[in-house]
Amino acid sequence: MKRHLMGAMAAGLTLALGVSGCSKGSSSGDGDSDGKTIKFVAAIYDDNTKGFWDGLIKDFEAKNSGYKVNLEMVDWTQMDAKVKTYVQTKQVPDILNYNAFSDFARDGLIYKAAEVVSPQVLSDFTPTFVEQAKYQGEQYGLPFISSARLLFYNKDLLSKAGIKEPPKTWAEVRTAAEKIKAKGTIGYGLPLGPEESQAEFYSWAMNNGGGWVDASGKWAINQKANLDTLTFLRDLTKAGLTQPNPETTDRKTVFNQFAQGKIGMAIGGPFTREAFINKANKDLPFGVTSLPSKSGTEHNTLGVMDVLAAFKKADGKNKDAIAKFLNHFYQAENTSKFLKLEGFLPVTKSAGDALSADPYFKQFVDALPTSKFAPTGNPAWSAVAGAVKQSLGTAVANENPKKVLDDIQKTAEKSG
Amino acid sequence: MRPRTVILTGVGWLVGLLFLLPYLQMLLTSLKPENELTKSPGTYLPSDWKWSNFVDVWSSQPIWQNMQVSLIVAAVATVVTLACALPAAYYTARNRFRGRNAFLLLVLITQMFAPTALVIGIYREMVALDLTDTLLALILVNAAFNLPFCIWILHGYFSSIPRELEEAAFLDGAGRVSALTRVTLPISMPGVVTAVVYTFIAAWNEYIVALTVTASPNRRPLTVAIPSFVTQYQEHWQFLFATSLIAIVPVVILFIFIERYLIGGLTAGSVK
Amino acid sequence: MQDVTTRGAGAATAPAPRPTPGRRLRRALSPLLWLGPSIVLIAVVVLWPVIEMVRTSTLKISSSGVTLGSNGTTNYSDLFAEDDLLPVLGRTLFWVVGTVVVTMVLSLALGQLLNARFPGRRVVRWAVIVPWAASVLMTALIWKWMLDNYSGLVNRVLLDLNVIDKPVNWLAHPDQAMLWMMWVAVFVSLPFTSFVILAGLQTIPRDVYEAARVDGATGWRTYFQITLPLLRPAILIASIVNVINVFNSFPIIWAMTGGGPGHATDTTTTFMYKIAFYDQNVGESAAMAVVNFALVLIMVLLYLRASRWREEVR
Repeated sequence: MKRHLMGAMAAGLTLALGVSGCSKGSSSGDGDSDGKTIKFVAAIYDDNTKGFWDGLIKDFEAKNSGYKVNLEMVDWTQMDAKVKTYVQTKQVPDILNYNAFSDFARDGLIYKAAEVVSPQVLSDFTPTFVEQAKYQGEQYGLPFISSARLLFYNKDLLSKAGIKEPPKTWAEVRTAAEKIKAKGTIGYGLPLGPEESQAEFYSWAMNNGGGWVDASGKWAINQKANLDTLTFLRDLTKAGLTQPNPETTDRKTVFNQFAQGKIGMAIGGPFTREAFINKANKDLPFGVTSLPSKSGTEHNTLGVMDVLAAFKKADGKNKDAIAKFLNHFYQAENTSKFLKLEGFLPVTKSAGDALSADPYFKQFVDALPTSKFAPTGNPAWSAVAGAVKQSLGTAVANENPKKVLDDIQKTAEKSG
Repeated sequence: MRPRTVILTGVGWLVGLLFLLPYLQMLLTSLKPENELTKSPGTYLPSDWKWSNFVDVWSSQPIWQNMQVSLIVAAVATVVTLACALPAAYYTARNRFRGRNAFLLLVLITQMFAPTALVIGIYREMVALDLTDTLLALILVNAAFNLPFCIWILHGYFSSIPRELEEAAFLDGAGRVSALTRVTLPISMPGVVTAVVYTFIAAWNEYIVALTVTASPNRRPLTVAIPSFVTQYQEHWQFLFATSLIAIVPVVILFIFIERYLIGGLTAGSVK
Repeated sequence: MQDVTTRGAGAATAPAPRPTPGRRLRRALSPLLWLGPSIVLIAVVVLWPVIEMVRTSTLKISSSGVTLGSNGTTNYSDLFAEDDLLPVLGRTLFWVVGTVVVTMVLSLALGQLLNARFPGRRVVRWAVIVPWAASVLMTALIWKWMLDNYSGLVNRVLLDLNVIDKPVNWLAHPDQAMLWMMWVAVFVSLPFTSFVILAGLQTIPRDVYEAARVDGATGWRTYFQITLPLLRPAILIASIVNVINVFNSFPIIWAMTGGGPGHATDTTTTFMYKIAFYDQNVGESAAMAVVNFALVLIMVLLYLRASRWREEVR
């Protein structure tokens, strides 16, 4: 009798195993030993990203018979967690589309750039970006897309407030924000929430001579210029010139309000027009200008770069397939198609000119040479960025700016 | 009606409405055009009732597949849990043996672990077993973490059933297993139903393990698929809530059938 | 769930007069046969990751995720050196105790209501079940949406009623955010707990109340002297399950505030996740997981002791 029940249970379990066993499909392709199948983890930038890669891979597979690319799309909000578990559990993809590479390089996980792309591709990368893709003097990261940040302003709100020229200095920003506020809208949109506060803060700090590291490359997060910057932003907030609670506000909230004409000024990127403004109000009269600086003389731009990183696997057997695929992607028509689709800036010389035809994009392309980047070549940067994302915003709310910066500096020094 | 009943009815309906209010708001949001969602102040009703959101959502992400995944995982996990929990609960309720207390303590301690806290450990294990990106991994995790509760609740029910009933069956020449299936189990239906519902819903809701263990879009349950409607550069709240509703409605209907059975069973079950 | 009488359960397996070795073996193995599947499932799927987690907490793991060898107790000392740890622990305690107490009080009332007779009771019961059927994540997201500073329904209603004169950014202020999230935690816990209470109420025989009425007991006295004591097993089960779920709850806080601003609305669970994925420190995060488990263990054991759990299972 007992056997009956156990038998039934065993049957149930087998069924369970069977059901799910069947559905384990192609994903086990990573373990392929022939080196012709590679796994590519791509980040989702918007609704069009997957379609682009599907098309590109189909084209690649048609031209290179026997080779296969397994695509996995990962959303940016889930990317960090995914990447960490891949590495921890030795399940890395062959190619990863990410915003960091240096700790992979330090830990010996990825190929040098020269090992996986042809010399032509290598020489096509813009030097500014090559510099950002280096770890200890060697290029590991493959620049993928770039972006720059400029000041967006609402022309109507500015002229209503009696401001003729968009602000160039911090003092002018403050005055403009006060006048805009007096007319009943928000002066400046300040996103210091956990999404990307490091970008917003650096956009201001770099135009005050501040930054993440000093001239010798040592962490200098609590330097005076940074403290002054944070104090300036805090004063803006406390005077009610920003939207409420910058410490919990993400960029999309700011730009949704900007698009509706409720915010006078905010710092945005090339994607801002397509992703936010056109969706809500195509006719919004907005202008784009360089980032304001404390002195008003020199204006730096925040540059942002995402990379592709190629992981060492199967004793280097995957190198050939990776190189074939990357060389395919870095053809000018493919890269510029991607940039146009997604609203990003080029990292290669050949894709550059296509974008400059649009005056909106031209402003960003033109700003790239003056751009400064986060120290992505430092392996501790991701931990520092994490600490900044979590706590920087609190400095404009209840925390003491000095203490916030000191704490981040401590984290940075601890991470190396 | 007596005044007491009037007040009860009023309070009752108010409470019911309160519980439905967020889901009503979910429905209204899912029917708004995307550019209306960021308007401030917010609107009560859609300016333009976009019923097409419920059509478009199907093509925006493979939510049909996501639903199937959720369903398979929840259903199979429930079966596995029940298959393990029933004999264990019955045996511990009816017998005293060496290790009984140790077993019950193990169950209690297991109950305290949540997959959330162990997610990295679980991922490492699934890699070791070569089960990453499989539904089996999700089924096993959901079955195991809900097992303690099921054992517990079934143990409680079995203990409360007078053994005289079974002894009568024994006298009729039935063995222990048939006494269990013919006498005890039918009376314990409320407990079984509770265990089933609890496991099914917990598996249906599980988020963080599925997020870490699965990779392919067609092997993701709904809970993982839904948040990706709102990302850094785009927000499709209307799709997010439309999908949520599509997921909620069948479960609510399931619940409505089971509730009738559960309450009915409960009343019939109080033999004492 | 029902009151378990301490009937001599062992009597059924009255020892046979002179067990032969074969029978003794069968008797010794028979528990394994019945408990085996459960033990295997728990051991493989629950205990394995636990051990893995404890092991990870002593390892040095680089920011990219590579294991660099042993780290002794450094992960633990790093964790205890975090300025935010104590506030997070305190908040977690507040979060668990506050949510569970409010949930239990409300579900006792709700259980009574659902047990009372009134027209439409069945529909109200269905409505109360809905938050259980909806995934916690979805419910947390709709509340976040309703509490939005700019487009949220809550602000719109309060503005129209002239309760507030400008929008309140509910989830940006840690104290308000915490209370709202606790409300959501209560909201999603209520269906389960109140149905357990309802089930408990239905097992109370009617004649107990008849007897009380004959004795002249009324209303509240009946409730406190008869109903509540008889509900003890139901309350025990509902509250323990609730404690564990609320303690480990991740989606509500993660979806609504992400534990921010800073760490101002973090509980140990979200804190642990942030150590791993923002601070890039998996080893320290595992140490947090171990501490987290020790806490829930202590909490539940204390609770069980206070409520004399052993009497319930024997």
